[in-house]
Amino acid sequence: MHRRQFIALGAAFMATPTLLRAEDAFRMRDFYEKDQSFTPLAKELQDERISVNGYMAPPLKADSTFFVLTKRPMAVCPFCETEAEWPDDIMAVYTQRVFRVVPFNRRITVTGVLSLGGYKDPETGFVSRVRLEKSTFELV
Amino acid sequence: MMAFWYDLPVAVQDGLVGLMLLTPAIVLGAVVLRGFETRPLLFALVRQQVWLSIVFVALIAVSVGIGVGLIAQERGLRQGTARAADKFDLIVAAPGSEITAMLAAVYLQASDMPLIDGETYHDIESHPRAELVAPIAFGDSWKDAPVVGTTPQFVVHLAESLTEGRMFASEEEAIAGARVPLSVGDEFSPAHGVGGAAEEDAHRGANYTITGKMPLTGTPWDRAILVPVEAVWGVHGLAVGHGPEWDGVVGPPFEPRYFPGTPAVLVRADSLGSTYGLQATFNNDETMAFFPGTILARLHALMGDVRQLMSVLAVITQVLVTASVLAGLMMLTKLLSRRLALLRALGAPGRFVFALTWSYAVFLIVIGAASGLTLGVLASWAISQAITARTDILVQATLDWPEIHIVAGFISLTSILALLPALLTMKRSVIAGLRG
Amino acid sequence: MAGLPLRIEGLTVSGEGGRTLLEVPELSIEPGTAVVVRGPSGAGKSTFLYAVSGILPVTAGRILWGDQVLSEMNDPARAAFRRNQVGFVFQDHLLFEELSAFGNASIAALYAPKNRRAGIRSTGTEQLEKLGLSADEHRISGTYSGGERQRIAVARALAADPAIVLADEPTASLDRENADRLADDLMQLARDNGRTLIAVTHDPAMHAQADRVIDIVDGRIQDSAA
Repeated sequence: MHRRQFIALGAAFMATPTLLRAEDAFRMRDFYEKDQSFTPLAKELQDERISVNGYMAPPLKADSTFFVLTKRPMAVCPFCETEAEWPDDIMAVYTQRVFRVVPFNRRITVTGVLSLGGYKDPETGFVSRVRLEKSTFELV
Repeated sequence: MMAFWYDLPVAVQDGLVGLMLLTPAIVLGAVVLRGFETRPLLFALVRQQVWLSIVFVALIAVSVGIGVGLIAQERGLRQGTARAADKFDLIVAAPGSEITAMLAAVYLQASDMPLIDGETYHDIESHPRAELVAPIAFGDSWKDAPVVGTTPQFVVHLAESLTEGRMFASEEEAIAGARVPLSVGDEFSPAHGVGGAAEEDAHRGANYTITGKMPLTGTPWDRAILVPVEAVWGVHGLAVGHGPEWDGVVGPPFEPRYFPGTPAVLVRADSLGSTYGLQATFNNDETMAFFPGTILARLHALMGDVRQLMSVLAVITQVLVTASVLAGLMMLTKLLSRRLALLRALGAPGRFVFALTWSYAVFLIVIGAASGLTLGVLASWAISQAITARTDILVQATLDWPEIHIVAGFISLTSILALLPALLTMKRSVIAGLRG
Repeated sequence: MAGLPLRIEGLTVSGEGGRTLLEVPELSIEPGTAVVVRGPSGAGKSTFLYAVSGILPVTAGRILWGDQVLSEMNDPARAAFRRNQVGFVFQDHLLFEELSAFGNASIAALYAPKNRRAGIRSTGTEQLEKLGLSADEHRISGTYSGGERQRIAVARALAADPAIVLADEPTASLDRENADRLADDLMQLARDNGRTLIAVTHDPAMHAQADRVIDIVDGRIQDSAA
């Protein structure tokens, strides 16, 4: 049996699952102003469990609990941005569990606790400005 | 409520799920055994049929063990290979197979690869967002140990700190991995190529002295010897990466004109975004840039699929074994029928005899499942040891929640199935049973 | 527990295929009497015992123990009747060899209601001691001699303080000396507290001590004599 089924089962026991709808989720542009600063909405949602739509960038580490959420599919994105500013409007996602990689062009909804501000991952050394922590995700 | 669940630590979630999976067995046990003391008679019955009981337990243990071992082994391999690639964020190589390049640059499975030239290397090295750029020049060897040319910065990145000695400072010095049978002060002469194709005498006269040892990393680099890349070029009679006025200090910056080339380059960017940016920039007509993590994740997914398929087979085995064990239990209750009839003749409630038979079946199942859990982890441990010995990739066998969940589910399911033989014992005639 | 009177009216017990195994037109046994049932083998003695204990359902007629109509009870009720009112001694002791003498004697405690368990255990120990056996919890009963094992079975029959004791050839598998001892013990202990004892036996030693002897021939009760 697959682990995720267990979890789903577990959750079903704990509570009636509130089904996630893609249209309820935020988009990454909701959190960034043009100048890359945070929007008031982002500041308001800090430390709350929210859902964000996006795409999983090709993972930097295998068998990890970390991936990068991009607003557009990764393989398209690099060619439409100038390299210097590329792509700082990304989100670092820390999942609750080691996850199975989703192709970069599949839209996903990530649900996690929003965390703002610079943070350097002690294990990978990656610096991120916006994170979703304790996350889970599903295909849209 | 959902948020509450996800805010729980993962271990608590796993523990709760495990408990939930075990709940049917626990509830069933509480209901079936309520008001009775079955234990003395249960042990009496087990002792009476001790060999048959052992055979049943062994059957269950082996079938559960296969299922557990598969999961533990897959996880061990995933974690081990991922850990070995941890230091390699971004690899740039000449266009070709990403997997070949990854196996060569990360796992030191050397293969013949085209080189990246000095101009290209210079472009990477001088990129403003690149924090660490180092050549990984493999191809030579000493005995089983690959000799890899690189920079002091890479050694620091890989090993963090040396356990012994100091960094190489000249073309005659080398750093040995933890499992290389050379100590600080030892000298060796490298061979051209690796393994059977190595030409022992090709680099006659080239000698290195070990000046430092790296700590154990649990990666193939434990078996490697790291030398200044200048030395690798020099041994092959090439330019050494620096102009004529070079002061002899190894490491960057390199002079593009005197840079003979390197099969692979490790790149570390200054930020998360730039890591992707650099990959996009250098994945072009002249070079390919890839994340070993991505390639590995793809291989892991493949391995996961194969494992799931095998797990299905393992589950089928478990079901078959359980079915035959329950069939065996029905026969066993025939062997025990005189004792069970005696109890009913004495006036024991039918439910007591039912509870006794059920607890006998569940006793065998629980002991078998627990032994299977141990067996699976032990088997995975043995296989992991063999893999580590062969590849130097530290693969560890661990016991984790997924297999505990499977075993808990197995116990619950089979304890429900065990109601069947227990029910059948109630149908037998007391008189016939008493007469044996 | 004081003995119960037995009353049987028009009893028929049939086996497979409708063959009549036992017919008892009428029989009364006073409470507190020790009755021996004898007859050739296959005459229906054991069937009689199994019928009056409720192990075997009746085909027709009535069996009454006091005011309890055993023949009209369902399986669980008959089991409850046996567990609360009947002590049974079988021909070849039928013990759980892997349990101790105490474990066997007090086996009823395993399925009795919680408030009766301690009583069964202390009575079981007491009966074992009266029968000259110690309640050694570590020695399994498989290691006892045949005579001792049958005495353990007697202690087991008495542990729950039944109103009725039924015995099926209790001395048949014993040598003379052990048989005599068991006959004496059974006759004495079973009749404590005015219990009703019905023993199927060929043993003259038991016939001699009985209050009443019933003969069964060809599945029919013959005239009985005191």
